[in-house]
Amino acid sequence: MTKPIIEVKNLAKDFDGNAVLKDITEQVDPGQVIVVIGPSGSGKSTFLRCLNLLETPTSGQVAFDGQDLTTLDTKRVNELREQMGMVFQGFNLFPNMSVLENIKLAPMKVKGTSDADATKRAHELLQQVNLDDHADAFPSSLSGGQKQRVAIARALAMDPKVMLFDEPTSALDPEMVGEVLNVMKDLANQGMTMVVVTHEMGFAKSVADRIWFMADGYIQENSTPDDFFAHPQTERAQDFLSKILM
Amino acid sequence: MKKKLLFMLALVVTLLVGWGATSTTAQAATDNSLARVQKKGTLVMGTSPDYPPYEFQATVHGKSKIVGMDVAVGQKIAKGLGVKLVVKSMSFDSLLVALQTGKVDMVISGMNPTPARKKNVDFTHLYYQGGYSIVVNKSEKGLYKDKDSFKGKTIGAQTGSTMYNESKKQTTDTKVKGMTSVSDLILALQSHKLAGVAMEKPSAQAYVANNKQLAMIPSHFNLSASDTSAAVAFKKGSTSLVTAANKSVDQIRKQDLVNKDYLPAAGKYLKTNTVNTSMWHYWKAFLTGVKYTLIITVCSVFFGFILGVLLSLARMAKGGVIKTALRWLATAYVEFIRGTPMMVQVMFVYFGLGLIVNLPALTSGIIAISLNSGAYIAEYIRGGINSVDDGQTEAARSLGLTNTATLRYVVLPQALKNIWPSLGNEFITLIKDSSIVSIIGVSELIFQSNIVRSDTYRGVAPIAVIMVLYFIMTFTASRILNYFERRMQHD
Repeated sequence: MTKPIIEVKNLAKDFDGNAVLKDITEQVDPGQVIVVIGPSGSGKSTFLRCLNLLETPTSGQVAFDGQDLTTLDTKRVNELREQMGMVFQGFNLFPNMSVLENIKLAPMKVKGTSDADATKRAHELLQQVNLDDHADAFPSSLSGGQKQRVAIARALAMDPKVMLFDEPTSALDPEMVGEVLNVMKDLANQGMTMVVVTHEMGFAKSVADRIWFMADGYIQENSTPDDFFAHPQTERAQDFLSKILM
Repeated sequence: MKKKLLFMLALVVTLLVGWGATSTTAQAATDNSLARVQKKGTLVMGTSPDYPPYEFQATVHGKSKIVGMDVAVGQKIAKGLGVKLVVKSMSFDSLLVALQTGKVDMVISGMNPTPARKKNVDFTHLYYQGGYSIVVNKSEKGLYKDKDSFKGKTIGAQTGSTMYNESKKQTTDTKVKGMTSVSDLILALQSHKLAGVAMEKPSAQAYVANNKQLAMIPSHFNLSASDTSAAVAFKKGSTSLVTAANKSVDQIRKQDLVNKDYLPAAGKYLKTNTVNTSMWHYWKAFLTGVKYTLIITVCSVFFGFILGVLLSLARMAKGGVIKTALRWLATAYVEFIRGTPMMVQVMFVYFGLGLIVNLPALTSGIIAISLNSGAYIAEYIRGGINSVDDGQTEAARSLGLTNTATLRYVVLPQALKNIWPSLGNEFITLIKDSSIVSIIGVSELIFQSNIVRSDTYRGVAPIAVIMVLYFIMTFTASRILNYFERRMQHD
């Protein structure tokens, strides 16, 4: 048995007394691709943001690489965050920096990588997401799909052990969804551990190792894609699938 | 929150009052005034140089200088003490405050030793006894005989002066308008906003001699000797210094030096003064004004910006007791500064802080304006930081950047871009508002223009010149700011 990279125990999160996450206990093994699906408002994004402590859990534990993040000081949390790349629905590129600068910022300021090394690595990553010819462009001149691929490259620049994707294609025009999903598939094929919140069922079916179905603040089902899409166990999941597959 | 603010304000006020009280008692305890002046080797004389022939600005060998009979008196006293005389100019209103707060050692500014003033400062014997006259427009000279001829009209006098108080007391149905500088009063007279200006006889003579459109009439004010005479003022309790100065004053009276030497000498300066009153002749004076205005503005924006960043961060601090206290303090500071006039702040820093450390006027001015500007800039920056999308912070934090690095590389550059137009406005406003420090005698543009005005007896031309100069500065500044604003546009 390999040691899990992420372990969540009895995680709960309230916003002003409104329970969004109720009691979640799951784990992610290295190399696994987890796709989290579920109806809107079921707490998927909040769950993902609890994994790197962008949201502070109300109770429970979130352990990364065996260390409980909720007990660590800010400095250690920052160090562990480096190892968890995150990609947001709204891209969140830094508009005041060029594409290259966006990618180089964290390696240089957090890890102290030299400018030359950071630049070299940034160009490699841009080639990987097929955008090397846009290195000097500013985010405002890019399409949504291009922005999201830069955001992925930026997260990868920190050489994370895990990548978290928070609805990475939801804000994109339909014709740009494919280019982002392809980059994500490549990443999965290279063995990256990934937790993906998405509504792309095709991606879930073909890439996921496990599907976590989330509703009402709980993970209702944890199964393989084949089992989940063919034989959903809970009524909530059956209901959800019947709605989106129609 | 309201209650807490009130409490903090009360605390601040109590501290200030307490501090003022202790410092005055300490000063009264011992009289080492003479020894102190002799030890530092200089005697600083405060005066309001717009009152010829008592004191006024004249161009001597191309340099603007304060001259007049009072300066000669000051020199005589300094010589008697064996020290060097330093002349500091400021508005008449500020003179006694400057004396009490130790900004100057003595005041010689045609000042009458009235009973009210005697309560606050010590006077020497009288060095001069004059009388009052009223200056009127020559064309209207026939209309007026003396102070009683101005029924239903307005006469002017220098604010804070004896003439002002007496004019109010001894006229009926006459409005008395006070202005800080005599040159402004004369200008108001010539533009018929005033029917007459009450001033001391020698001054009136000087103005009439230099301006052919003016004439003088006797005032017939009913006055005691102390109201029409001038004496040197020293800080209360400096008996040894007053005694020493009296030796020189007595000599002046005995030998009638004022009438024999000082007034004729002052008259000569007045003559040279009127030879060349072209504005070009005074370009150096204006240049100095522009220089100081820019120094004050640039320094104040720089320090104000740093202060503003710190204050805005303090105002947004959330967390433990220390952070909460910081937030309250910053909020109280911003509210307090925004709720009090900048002029008062400038005077407070110069005179109030002067009780502890003796800061030069320029430094005081820069400190006061930086402190003021910091409060406003803090609010702009807070708005700018709030305008940056939370997603930016989240993205930066998810990459492992610390709070500080996130702020420095991601949030502040974007905030700065958003608030750049507001900051630019603040800069341009400061170019103009820096004129307030003229009240404490910093040679910025307004102050310099006043000098030129009293120097040339021309009221409007210097104002027109500085108006153009201010516009050139603000317009250039706004062009430069626009250039940087364009450079920051990436979207």
